[in-house]
Amino acid sequence: MSAPIDAPIEAPIEAVPTHTTVGTRVLVHVLWRSFFFLAAANYQRMQNVGFGYAMLPALERLHTGDALRSATARHLEFFNSHPYMAGLILGAAVRIEEDIAAGTCEPERVQRFKTQMMGPLAAIGDSFFWTSLRPLGAILAIAGVLNGWLWAPLIFILLYNACHLSLRGYGLFAGYRQAEQVVTLVHRWRLVRLADWAHVATGALVGIAGAQFVGIARASMPIGDGLEPVLLATLTCITALCVKRHLPLLGVLYVLVAGCLAFVLCLQAVFPIF
Amino acid sequence: MSIVTELLVIGVFAGLMGLDRRGAFQLMVSQPIVALPLLGLFFGDAYTGAMLGALVQLLWMSSSLFGANVPPNETVAGLTIGGMVFMFNAHGGHSNDPQAVWAMAVLLGCPMAMAGRWLEQKNDQANLRICRRADAAVRLGRPRIITRLPLWGLARAFVLNAGMVSLATIIGWGVLLALAPVLRATTLTAVTLYLLPAIGLGVTLAALRRRRGIVLAVAMFVVGLLVGAPQ
Repeated sequence: MSAPIDAPIEAPIEAVPTHTTVGTRVLVHVLWRSFFFLAAANYQRMQNVGFGYAMLPALERLHTGDALRSATARHLEFFNSHPYMAGLILGAAVRIEEDIAAGTCEPERVQRFKTQMMGPLAAIGDSFFWTSLRPLGAILAIAGVLNGWLWAPLIFILLYNACHLSLRGYGLFAGYRQAEQVVTLVHRWRLVRLADWAHVATGALVGIAGAQFVGIARASMPIGDGLEPVLLATLTCITALCVKRHLPLLGVLYVLVAGCLAFVLCLQAVFPIF
Repeated sequence: MSIVTELLVIGVFAGLMGLDRRGAFQLMVSQPIVALPLLGLFFGDAYTGAMLGALVQLLWMSSSLFGANVPPNETVAGLTIGGMVFMFNAHGGHSNDPQAVWAMAVLLGCPMAMAGRWLEQKNDQANLRICRRADAAVRLGRPRIITRLPLWGLARAFVLNAGMVSLATIIGWGVLLALAPVLRATTLTAVTLYLLPAIGLGVTLAALRRRRGIVLAVAMFVVGLLVGAPQ
């Protein structure tokens, strides 16, 4: 069992042989640890512990003693990027650390590279994964579930993670191979353009899901006179406008529910048979 | 199966989903459309789980983790809502109208998304201690200590998520039982059938970046109505 978090630190570090390359096994270890990138995310230096944790197997292979201490400290500085895209930076950082261990570049280069890359990669990752692929996969699963396919969420998980895991894995090894040239690789992937297409596809699936909801409502609780789609579309438009105006979602939800309840109560008061 | 066992399963499941959401892997299993059918499988009612998952997922379709921004926690809200409904159905809840129960559970459980966000923010603040511990380890020449530090963050996130969802489920289940007599109200059924889907679809439409997406949504809605979208 591991020691408590505040346990005193006693023995000094043991020296291990230094290498100038890390090898595939260590890279796979780094990749595995990258899955815990946000485990100790904090407001001060964001994902720094996660980055240091992921880099440690490579650093222990390349450095010893004071060099290892300063290398680890380098990777505990502020870091904030998209966790899936960070594989690229991790791979490139390992490669730069190899150069540092070989004495062919100065230690500041790795921090400079991380600082330059983390922002743009975070923007691309957020745009592609969080706001495009996740809603697309989710609405696909929702449309499937409404169609009676209870296994549809599995499609979401498979579609999403096919992109996620391949990008993480390939990104780390590509980052290691290409180091600072990895920027051109990201540009070639055209993730921003793919994100735009995902938004269009999500739109189409929202329409289909809307029609499916109308069908379910008609079957369970018809209003009559074909008014079901009109009611659903009107409420959808009201919500979309409220959300666009940055009104809080919970506020919109409770106000609309209270409004519906008040409307029904008024109807019952005016028309007792209703 | 005993109530304690079921609550324990809900808690452990919520802890694991909390880890997937933020701490480890991020495979999106914690998204309500996936997590709720899985929880439903345990209670032998995957259909209810899938339908609740669809409604909750739509409500928070636009919430994303951007940098330091911590969005409402749809995983905590979804699992609390699911837990309430499954416990209500399994123990003592009698309603002829399951959709009215779903509506009431969603209305009761939605604020848990904000409570879950607050929990994540507190967890991030507590992680500062881990950050300082990592600095101290490096300063004293023991960087290997960093290897076990993320485990503390994961363990804390697991316990907090499990505890919060279990507690909220117990309270929500009790409230549902107390409200059981009104759970046949037609208005509540209408909330599930019309209002919640409409709000969810509205949120998703508002999050679309391309105007073409909105045009296509309208077109597919009309086509779906004309050809009779299957359900």
